[in-house]
Amino acid sequence: MSVSAETFGYVADLVRTQSAIQLAPGKEYLVESRLMPLAREKGLMGPSAVDAYVRDLRRNLDRSELTRVVEALTTNETSWFRDSSPFTALRQNVVPTLRAQHHGTLRIWSAACSTGQEPYSIAMSLLESGESRFSVLATDLSSAVLAQARRAEYSQLEMNRGLPAPMLVRYFVRSGAGWAVKDELRRLVTFAQHNLLQPPPTGGPFDVVFLRNVLIYFDAATKRDILARVRRAMRPGAFLVLGAAESMVGIDDAWERVATTSGSVYRVPGGIS
Amino acid sequence: MRALVIDDSRAMRRIVTRLLQDLGFVTDEAGDGAEALALLEAGTTYDLACIDWNMPVMDGLSFVYAVRERREWRGITLMMVTTESEHDQIVRALAAGAHEYLIKPFTPDALKGKLDMLGLVPARENA
Amino acid sequence: MISTMADHVVAIAQDMFTAMVDGESGALTDRAGEAAVLTEPVHAWVDIDGERPLRTLVATGRGTADRIARALLAMGPQDPVEQDDVRDALGEIANVIGGNVKGLLPERSALSLPVVTFDGREPAGALVWTRSLEWHHEPLVVSMWDVPLKREEQL
Repeated sequence: MSVSAETFGYVADLVRTQSAIQLAPGKEYLVESRLMPLAREKGLMGPSAVDAYVRDLRRNLDRSELTRVVEALTTNETSWFRDSSPFTALRQNVVPTLRAQHHGTLRIWSAACSTGQEPYSIAMSLLESGESRFSVLATDLSSAVLAQARRAEYSQLEMNRGLPAPMLVRYFVRSGAGWAVKDELRRLVTFAQHNLLQPPPTGGPFDVVFLRNVLIYFDAATKRDILARVRRAMRPGAFLVLGAAESMVGIDDAWERVATTSGSVYRVPGGIS
Repeated sequence: MRALVIDDSRAMRRIVTRLLQDLGFVTDEAGDGAEALALLEAGTTYDLACIDWNMPVMDGLSFVYAVRERREWRGITLMMVTTESEHDQIVRALAAGAHEYLIKPFTPDALKGKLDMLGLVPARENA
Repeated sequence: MISTMADHVVAIAQDMFTAMVDGESGALTDRAGEAAVLTEPVHAWVDIDGERPLRTLVATGRGTADRIARALLAMGPQDPVEQDDVRDALGEIANVIGGNVKGLLPERSALSLPVVTFDGREPAGALVWTRSLEWHHEPLVVSMWDVPLKREEQL
């Protein structure tokens, strides 16, 4: 579900006074998805976690927490092929290695898929490299954000971010004032709601998991738990992709590091080199 | 690195020029495709051309065709910067030889992102 | 179709300001119905010559127009804003908004060059819809007009 009007009003005021950015009505889903990780960190769960989090925030008025809220709502990092090198690694390194192991359907899990750019980018990368036997499961905690991802429509501004023009024309059509993902690409991605603190979703074992820029919201012990659960849903030799600035160092040593340009790709031991 | 900004709108030329200069490019401007061709004919070497579509005398698409006909200009990266954003228009521009397509309005980050994708990042020391 | 078009145009205007004027979202907001009073109005418009000729108009007060020009053209805080700067800046805003509107229409059509006036005269034509917006709490009006038949004098 979404946040209460009171929560939204308070957060919108806070963000506007601290950053001059205005959260118009209709952006409740943004407040929910951006603050959910912060709520989780405080141990709050469930559909009213963000409401509870904001209630506590207003009681305590912790300055650093207030800053985190503003930051969470004012950064906009969603882009196609974010950081580019993981997608290059996927094409040049990961898929060829997996194909040396088996010829069945490659199963890929995008585990914090947000508004969908990541899973669709993964699918585009594979199609561009000639792969067609694959499926992408895309999950996120926020059902509001998943609804957007399922709609598969993006504004002109969003289309300008990180998407090469040849792929724009190959995989998208105009839709109203923006663009929509073509069916042939849309069909390759399935969306589902999933909480990383719970057992992995069905659809595994996975050959590749993208777990980018979401572990940062958890403490070290929880990170290890999540990684352990994720690993259990992966085949031997399967690949894990973290965010560009993330690493396993000090968290979990059960993975093999894969030497790529970004350094954020890991492998479940037991695969073929 | 040197860039050519081609647009009949003085405001857009100013905006794009400033963004490119901030990124380290040396820039020249032209108000239409013919003026831009004249600069190329005069012998200046460009790494990048940012091209509006709708311009008098010679429009952006015609300019792209003209540049891609000449082997000595193969090294110029051609990026359309325009409000024209029908699917088939982008297809036509790419088919004519444009390398990239930036739809207006665009953020400075979007422009930089396109240039990063194209490998056009001027070394600051040389700027 | 009319209200959808107006919604689209407001969204395009907001994208334009976010991307190229303010560098962040939220400054251009919908006043939702409250009429605007413009001091020393500046009008900037482009025409789309499709089956149904349409005019997209952006109007704001001279002071606001100066500030928009300063932001869009990244002028320094002490640089004087000349009328030509305002003409260029508002003309480009009308051009980008009108260009995107053109993309929403079913048939292929051409966009005119922008026209910018400082004399307060609104262009001729029948109003199709109008939306009052605010840029940093200063009024800015976006409207769409049916362009009169060509026998009327155009500016």
